[in-house]
Amino acid sequence: MDLHVIARYPFLEEAREWVKSEAVSIEEVLNEAVYDRARERAMERVKQAVEKGIIKPYPCVEESDCVMEIFSYPIARMIVAAVESDFLIRRYALAEAKKAYETLKNEDASFINFMLEKFGISMHDGKIHFTDYLKYAPTWHSKWKLVNRIMERGYIRLEKNEMARLLQEAIRKKIQDELFYLFAPPEVRKIFGELINRLRAKTVVKEDKKYEGEESMVYFPPCIKSLISAARNGINIPHVGRFTLVTFLNAVGMPIDDIVSLFRSSPDFNEEKTRYQIEHITGKISGTIYSVPKCATIRTWGLCNPDELCRKVSHPMIYYRIKRGKNEVPKEKVL
Amino acid sequence: MRFLKKKFYEYYLKPDIIFPSRIDRREFAFLSFSDTMMRRHISFPTRDRLLYYLRINAPAHAYYSSAYYRRPDAATMQEKEWMGADLIFDLDADHIPGAFESGYENALRMVKEEMKKLLDFLLEDFGFDKNKMHVFFSGGRGYHCHVFDRRVIELGSGERREIVDYITARGLDMDSVIVEKEIFADGYSIKKVEIMPSLPSWRGRIARGIIEFLKEIKSMEREDAIKKMMELEGIGRKIAESIYDSLDEERMKRIEEGMIDQLSAYKRLIKPLAKKLAVSLHSSTDEPVTADIKRLIRLPGSLHGKTGLKVEKVDIDAIDEFEPLRDAIAFGDEIVEIEVKKPFSIEMNEERYELKKGRARVPEYVAVFAVARGFAEG
Repeated sequence: MDLHVIARYPFLEEAREWVKSEAVSIEEVLNEAVYDRARERAMERVKQAVEKGIIKPYPCVEESDCVMEIFSYPIARMIVAAVESDFLIRRYALAEAKKAYETLKNEDASFINFMLEKFGISMHDGKIHFTDYLKYAPTWHSKWKLVNRIMERGYIRLEKNEMARLLQEAIRKKIQDELFYLFAPPEVRKIFGELINRLRAKTVVKEDKKYEGEESMVYFPPCIKSLISAARNGINIPHVGRFTLVTFLNAVGMPIDDIVSLFRSSPDFNEEKTRYQIEHITGKISGTIYSVPKCATIRTWGLCNPDELCRKVSHPMIYYRIKRGKNEVPKEKVL
Repeated sequence: MRFLKKKFYEYYLKPDIIFPSRIDRREFAFLSFSDTMMRRHISFPTRDRLLYYLRINAPAHAYYSSAYYRRPDAATMQEKEWMGADLIFDLDADHIPGAFESGYENALRMVKEEMKKLLDFLLEDFGFDKNKMHVFFSGGRGYHCHVFDRRVIELGSGERREIVDYITARGLDMDSVIVEKEIFADGYSIKKVEIMPSLPSWRGRIARGIIEFLKEIKSMEREDAIKKMMELEGIGRKIAESIYDSLDEERMKRIEEGMIDQLSAYKRLIKPLAKKLAVSLHSSTDEPVTADIKRLIRLPGSLHGKTGLKVEKVDIDAIDEFEPLRDAIAFGDEIVEIEVKKPFSIEMNEERYELKKGRARVPEYVAVFAVARGFAEG
């Protein structure tokens, strides 16, 4: 596939394949000076998504421009994943999808067809089946309601720009679903720390911290649940366990006072010391918000007691988000 | 009650169950004559196990889930793990205003007419294959249509609601079904409405509905025609008169070709006609079951505890010939004696029974029906 096309639609499998074929490591992309422009553009993607709700196209004149544009996409995704905010994921996915729509509506029919097939939609003489239509059409809009379309024997005729609009939604869904399952490598936090912290302050408060008291606890993964019950029953928890528990509870928005009281039953409870440690971990003192350790780490610490959902996720926060019922589980695990 | 229960036991010794596909993925639920609570979350790995359960329990009502679950016998929805669901349409006499005013038999006829409208939508507009649909008489007050096309199984609730909105005309944009045109001729501009009777979907349906309705009106006596038009919502005498009086041969011909002038009066017909063409699927209190992806439905071939009639399959091509009170009878014609508590009249198996208080000798199927409905004791 042409590099310019890949640059326009960097979420395609073809883009992934191309990146793979370049055999560049994540470390290189994140650190090497050659990829400065890709990293800049990655930050721009995320910033524009947050501020404007759409990502502006990047002028790709030379092939090297395309390369930077293509690499900027996986980096931007890592930044978004590192922020760990549902709100940002949704907003970013929509912004990328809108960007794709802007160019898609000018593509020729055969390319639109190719894209539709990428999303499992087959087109027969400019018509698609109503079940595919319903999956992606913005039916909250009167014009898009099925009842207002011309449908014959299950098939609906669509204009090219209408096909592009459906694809926008399919792309949005794909990007969003992938991001809910993506765990950013820790280096990302180091390199883009400033931006990530800023975005976190801006967005995490908005969306992820919807802590609804005890009720939220039913959505916690089993490892966190057993840590909580251990803390409440005065069983001594190893340091790594407390660290896991505090980072998690902070990420879901439990107030610090509540977290402190949770440890009240600990045999060695010292309010001042506990509060200091918690405030350190949650960034109140240190300025760094420690992120929740991923499943693999929790497992090596011997704190993992997985249930069925655990097998499909790699991070406790992902478990929490899915369990909270906000997202469907995508067909295959993406990471 | 002993009589009814005994009869149900007899039936379930050799029932005509039509098994749903993937029986092992379905949840079953039963209500017995003595229970007040439904027994839920039951699953059967095989058809024989279900038959065995029916034989030893002879339930008053038997249901299965339209949904397929990974663990159909789990107690909560979350643990069940929804995998997909058939598309179900539940047409009930309750959904039709005034259906019961003329009696049970007539109410059932009205529901059958609604089912015919629904089938037309499902076959013509949605293009479902007849072989991937079943129509059943529910044994009670309505008809069910099951669609098990692979492509609809995965549809979520919101997507199913769109299907419901389609066949009930909810959210239909009245301006989208007609095209207003401004025509310039001899320095004048004339507003005209174009209707497209040859088009599929709602645009064509409305256009054909208008033409058919106006043809009918034209063929009627003035006063009758005006009365008929005034039955429609939003049509007053003045408008009705103006429509009738304007319908000369030439205008009728133009309308049949899809051209309507004098639009303001005709435009008023669209909304009430759409309502007539749509399927009555909403009950007054609850949302349509079609959008519900975790719904229980009556097991085809099981008995309805409140009528003793069978949930009976209806041949889609011969729906006109289907008579529920003849074709869904599950019991024999051996004469039995019952004690009639409340006089009632019913036509079953093409014979009318007018029963007064006191002892009566009737065929077994009439006895079962009367006892199940609470008109008599066995």
